[in-house]
Amino acid sequence: MYRYDEFDAEFVNARVAQFRDQVERRLDGRLSEAEFRPLRLMNGLYLQLHAYMLRVAVPYGTLRSEQLRMLAHLADKYDKGYGHVTTRQNMQFNWPVLGDVPDMLADLASVEMHAIQTSGNCIRNVTCDPYAGAAADEIEDPRPLAELLRQWSMLHPEFSFLPRKFKIAVTGAPTHDRAMVRAHDIGIEVVRGPSGEVGYHIIVGGGLGRTPIIGETLRAFCPKDELLPYLDATMRVYNRFGRRDNKYKARIKILVRETGIEEFRFLVDEEFKALDASDIMVSQAERDRIAAYFAPPEYASDIKALDLEAQPEAFRKWVETNVHTHVQPGYAIVNISLKDPERAPGDITAEQMRAVADLADKHSFGEIRTTHQQNMVLAHVRQDELRAVWDGLVAAQLEDANINLIGDIICCPGMDFCALATARSIPVAQKIAERFNDHARQQAIGEMQIKISGCINACGHHHVGHIGILGLEKAGVEFYQVTLGGDATQTARVGDRTGKGLSEAELIDGIERIVDRYMDVREGNERFLDTYQRLGAETFKEALYADA
Amino acid sequence: MSETKSELPPTIKTSAKHKGKGPQAMTANELRSGLSVWMTQDFGWSRDYADALLTEDDATIERMQDVANAAELSNTVVGAYFIDTVNGAPARYRERFRTHGPSYDTADLI
Repeated sequence: MYRYDEFDAEFVNARVAQFRDQVERRLDGRLSEAEFRPLRLMNGLYLQLHAYMLRVAVPYGTLRSEQLRMLAHLADKYDKGYGHVTTRQNMQFNWPVLGDVPDMLADLASVEMHAIQTSGNCIRNVTCDPYAGAAADEIEDPRPLAELLRQWSMLHPEFSFLPRKFKIAVTGAPTHDRAMVRAHDIGIEVVRGPSGEVGYHIIVGGGLGRTPIIGETLRAFCPKDELLPYLDATMRVYNRFGRRDNKYKARIKILVRETGIEEFRFLVDEEFKALDASDIMVSQAERDRIAAYFAPPEYASDIKALDLEAQPEAFRKWVETNVHTHVQPGYAIVNISLKDPERAPGDITAEQMRAVADLADKHSFGEIRTTHQQNMVLAHVRQDELRAVWDGLVAAQLEDANINLIGDIICCPGMDFCALATARSIPVAQKIAERFNDHARQQAIGEMQIKISGCINACGHHHVGHIGILGLEKAGVEFYQVTLGGDATQTARVGDRTGKGLSEAELIDGIERIVDRYMDVREGNERFLDTYQRLGAETFKEALYADA
Repeated sequence: MSETKSELPPTIKTSAKHKGKGPQAMTANELRSGLSVWMTQDFGWSRDYADALLTEDDATIERMQDVANAAELSNTVVGAYFIDTVNGAPARYRERFRTHGPSYDTADLI
């Protein structure tokens, strides 16, 4: 993993001191709220519906064990004993008090973390395939690319006041996109060029929110050394032509849609030709220097075969659902579900964070990933240590075997915490998880991604859920709109609206009828998404509204 | 902070404009904790909506505006605004929800 150099450390510590002074001035009145608000947002501190919320950056979803322990420490010392993994792979704390936040940031800085650029109209935390460096299907580990983008975008003076926030995602596995690159302002896939050389496929103009759009190819193959100049050119075009008069039309997706991808590409190409690429071009030596931080760990070769038959059934089920193939023979990728049906999706207690950090130290080279699906990953686990990992997860009550199943629900904080929300989302997720709690039933249903947002801003990614749920409110009553057939992967598409909204009770029953209909009509082991594409929406709409 | 009284400067103009209908309540967030508060009968602040002052009296509403503005200037609360109420409860769903806090919090399970 990347380590701070002396400049990084000096800068982050200076920011902490700066913010400490700003908080002091706010508390004694030398700064007004109008003056202070942009300063706190630049340090990830929001004022939400009930309290402050601190959003901590987890660059491309990678954590060292001591960093996760520090997050546990923050949860215990300054918050209410838990944190929330977000769909941008960050961690949020829901209850900090203003006077403590400088201490929280100082504690974070001591383990090379911060909360910078987790808010505001800047380039936000770059997200990444959580299996990076471990997946058998990737062309190249995308983390060095993500780190390069982090360094480029951090405090970039030209891109700190964009028309609107800007989200970038990267993947090294274009055939199995686990980073949702087509639903980002810019998505980057590692690809091979005509001669087999590795470069980047640049996708632009994707996004969810109130105007969901799947991104389009801006450049099919960008050589590695041209990446930053090309992104600079793209950002300059957005910065110049992106709308600033209407925040709802200010994202790059609106500019690309209104300009047309051909014209937008022309503008970027013209800008690219005009700029001095050598100014920002990164040398092979520098790329190698960054990549060295992400060198594969020293894998063992003395790994014993895992005799699953001799193991308990619960462990076997967990292996089947939560363990993924690793590029290195004898190793496995372990997904840790944060989808206990009784908890909010993505929430993890301080005690559980410490348990995961201990497991990472013992079994996965001290490294943890957070995922945009609000789970965690131990990326490099010996197969003959899977049982020990599972035992540790059972002790920490983190053994839910539901990855990519119907219980693995993405869910924003919704009205329970968020100032923007129009309806609650957490209780809906809990009720669906409870309805489908039977593991055998979840397994029989197979891959099913339910995604829930508590408002039109779509932080819960409902547009790209196989079943998407949008919470709204009218005349004081929450109701829920359903979309079907969304897809967050390399075959991304926006789901189809089914029709009128449903009450929470109608919704849960309706989803069960959709699932039952799917089980009746699917062919073989066809996924819900495949069945939906084969049959179309009507049969599932009919099921959804059967009793409504 | 609960039941904290604020002094009223006589000439301050408020930014918390009253545009609502029916009985009004004044709400804000405490600067230090960020927690929701409502203006009380004695023009202090309470974290409990049950203590909130609800009124249609123009003179009282004007005084509430001035008190809220003073509380913002004295760094007690932030983001003060009026809310409409109906039958003693906030009219908007969001505001009703805000009076009782999250319906779920993992902290309650720890």
